[in-house]
Amino acid sequence: MPSNTSVKDARVVALIGNPNTGKSSLFNALCGMNARVGNYPGVTVEQKVGRLSGTAETIDVIDLPGTYSLAARSADEAVAVNVLSGEIPQQAKPEVAIVILDAANVERNLYLFSQIYELGLPVIVVMNMWDRVTSEGLTVNAELLSQRLGVPVVCTSANKRKGIDELKKTIESTLRSPASTPRPEQFARAMFPSVFHDEVKQLTEWLESQGRKPSTYQVDRLLIDSDGHFQKLICQSGLPDIATKIEDARLRLQTAGCKVPMFETKARYAWVRKLIDGAVVRQESRSASPSDRIDRWLTHRWVGMLFFVFVMFIVFQSITLFAKFPMDGIQWLQAQASGGVEAVLAPGALRSLIVDGVIGGVGGVIVFLPQIAILFLFIAILEDCGYMARAAFVMDKLMTTVGLSGKSFLPLMSSFACAVPGIMATRTIESRKDRMVTLLIAPLMSCSARLPVYVLMVSAFVPDTKYVGGWITLQGMVLMFMQSLGAMVAIPVAWLLKKFFFPGEPATFLMELHSYKWPSPVVIYQRVWERLLSFVVRAGTLIFCTSILVWAAVYFPGDHLSLDSSVSKLERLQSEVSETIAKQPSSPRGTEAPIEDPNIANMQSKIDEAQELVNQQRSKLIEGSFLGMVGHRIEPFVKPLGWDWKIGVAVVASFPAREVIIATLGTIYSLGSDQDENSQGLQHQMQIAEWPNDGKPVFSLATALSIMVFFALCAQCSATLMTIRRETNSWRWPIFSFVYMTTLAYIGAWLTYQCFRFWS
Amino acid sequence: MRFHQFEIFPVCGSMITDSVPLPIEYLQPECHGTIVEMCGQPCQMQRLAELGIRQGCKVRMVCQGEPCLICIEGRRISLRLGDSADIFVIPAAG
Ligand SMILES: Nc1nc2c(ncn2[C@@H]2O[C@H](COP(=O)(O)OP(=O)(O)OP(=O)(O)O)[C@@H](O)[C@H]2O)c(=O)[nH]1
Ligand SMILES: [Mg+2]
Repeated sequence: MPSNTSVKDARVVALIGNPNTGKSSLFNALCGMNARVGNYPGVTVEQKVGRLSGTAETIDVIDLPGTYSLAARSADEAVAVNVLSGEIPQQAKPEVAIVILDAANVERNLYLFSQIYELGLPVIVVMNMWDRVTSEGLTVNAELLSQRLGVPVVCTSANKRKGIDELKKTIESTLRSPASTPRPEQFARAMFPSVFHDEVKQLTEWLESQGRKPSTYQVDRLLIDSDGHFQKLICQSGLPDIATKIEDARLRLQTAGCKVPMFETKARYAWVRKLIDGAVVRQESRSASPSDRIDRWLTHRWVGMLFFVFVMFIVFQSITLFAKFPMDGIQWLQAQASGGVEAVLAPGALRSLIVDGVIGGVGGVIVFLPQIAILFLFIAILEDCGYMARAAFVMDKLMTTVGLSGKSFLPLMSSFACAVPGIMATRTIESRKDRMVTLLIAPLMSCSARLPVYVLMVSAFVPDTKYVGGWITLQGMVLMFMQSLGAMVAIPVAWLLKKFFFPGEPATFLMELHSYKWPSPVVIYQRVWERLLSFVVRAGTLIFCTSILVWAAVYFPGDHLSLDSSVSKLERLQSEVSETIAKQPSSPRGTEAPIEDPNIANMQSKIDEAQELVNQQRSKLIEGSFLGMVGHRIEPFVKPLGWDWKIGVAVVASFPAREVIIATLGTIYSLGSDQDENSQGLQHQMQIAEWPNDGKPVFSLATALSIMVFFALCAQCSATLMTIRRETNSWRWPIFSFVYMTTLAYIGAWLTYQCFRFWS
Repeated sequence: MRFHQFEIFPVCGSMITDSVPLPIEYLQPECHGTIVEMCGQPCQMQRLAELGIRQGCKVRMVCQGEPCLICIEGRRISLRLGDSADIFVIPAAG
């Protein structure tokens, strides 16, 4: 896993560039890591550190979020700027800035370069996406640019791992002997008006008299960006007069005819144009590219929206259709494992711990690996082909009706995988108010941890009706509805939040849509694999531990001696019967014949008796266990939702992490059932569960739906709440989210149960 | 909305004279134009310029509406400025 800090005595270089120029792809190629890659701006939102492989010296590479300029506006851009200028405490300032340009769009990319050039760091220019230069019919003379700038220029194709070795060599040689620092007249800021230079000198002198040591770059930014990133930093550090100083300076510049901030962009573009003159030639294409032709439909107001719904439909239908076989396979393995352990171990605490706690609990969660894999396969494809940004474009219209912009759509979409990266991705939203609203509704999006819960409930209690020759399933549609429920509830929630907590006009929407491309198999494989691995690790740690705790709470304090002896007796009877059957020579392979034998019939009834006794003893033990005691306290609160105490405790236990409900139910039902039923999985056990007083089934469609609605809306994830705390820097917002979501969940589940209880 | 009078013109092609700047929203799909003026908050103008949208730039409208999708130097940028800013273009003939 990429870490966030570098080793003390390693040399540090940083990758910086416009969004979506392939920084993370290059980082992965250089360091052999798997940082997230996707074909839309704003994939990386925090710095990642990796170790350059195959070099003599220890060199750490930092992958940074993309930015269009050093005038940071959003939180992710601020990360890039802070790291590059060494503002992060306890972290070394990078020694070399590696500026990654999209070789097919050099002019715009060089704007950022012109700013970094002035930082005084040794710079390496990387022309990534070099493959596009040829395919788009451009001419780029990298050598000429290198000569004019006096910095090394390397051409790469990060996704095809081309030019990586050369880049490594260049990094090493630059660290060894940096190119001579450019003269100030070489910079774009030499083209700024002289009045501006005078103001910079004045402000620098004043800051120095206050005991500060600002760099020219910082003073430039202070003067140019109104209420910018550096102004805020410096105000916070105890120089409140600075605001009036800057205001006065800007006023003077204005009267002298220097238009702040536009003079900067003008000067820089003029500088860039001079630089690339003759080195970069773009054929002006008057016709639409293939991407344009696709976009004409996918960004169409209605067609685009319908397409988006269609894509989601396909995803959830596929999950129900294709996950079935691998899931059955894993379930079979689970049953084999239980059977194996039962054959080896005599009934007792250890056997119960392994079979009921570990295999029943953790195994129950692992069963859902295929669904997770399919979901992430689709997410990875959508992210890497470039469709995500289109979806954001289409959704902008809808988002403005609740006061947000299309920018908020991408973090919300990534919350469908997991709310934690989704909340992190809100860093890309410039408007603070929009960011807060997005961050607070992100946990409502149906994350992949909810998927197993839905699948379990849907496959057990929604009829397996198929339409259109089996290609569309009712289960798939219910699954899609549950997945979109959170998003639908988020609409009024966002509207209320925006209206009462963060009032303001919807922010303007400005986003680059990069060309479509074929999704890269490596990127997809990495994304799916990483997710599956983390799912398994989660099951093996967090869920494993809770399973054992839950098992202990169900197993103790009851006395299991009499149950164990009954179970032994039952198993002995069962094996005797099977031996007798095996011995009967004339018996055909069918099952009917042996029962007619009076001897066997006699034994069978004995088995039934023993079975009855075991079941009675089991349910008595569960009722009297620690968990049973707690459960009966909870029951009055969850009864209105149609739940019995077992569901109640399972839901309460799943507050730290959602999948725990499956592990908990798995353990409870495994402890309460015999081996034959156990082998048929949790689904079957849930289907036959009965209320003790009247023998009616515990689970009906209404109960299943109410559980799903509760899970759709509830904030059952400690990691999410911690991320909200970290990103907002206060406890207020995680507590707020927890309270509002749990309340919504309870009300939603109650309403659902009350509506559906009389149906079916 | 402002500039209602423009709606009655088919603004692509040679029917309109070269000298009439119009808000970018009214550029028809697949029409080219040159940005002649941008107005709005300075900090917003700065961001537009950083993304490559600036005076003198040639644009092509890919998808009209709110937001619209424009193409500048081969890059597609989606744009919704609302009432706070305006970009004026002169449509190219032909
Ligand atoms: N054609 C081509 N595509 C590339 C190349 N390098 C990367 N890509 C693709 O460009 C897209 C963006 O790559 P990323 O590595 O996520 O870009 P990034 O700069 O880290 O993006 P942000 O983190 O959002 O700023 C992905 O779809 C890559 O597969 C290249 O050399 N050629
Ligand atoms: Mg990245």
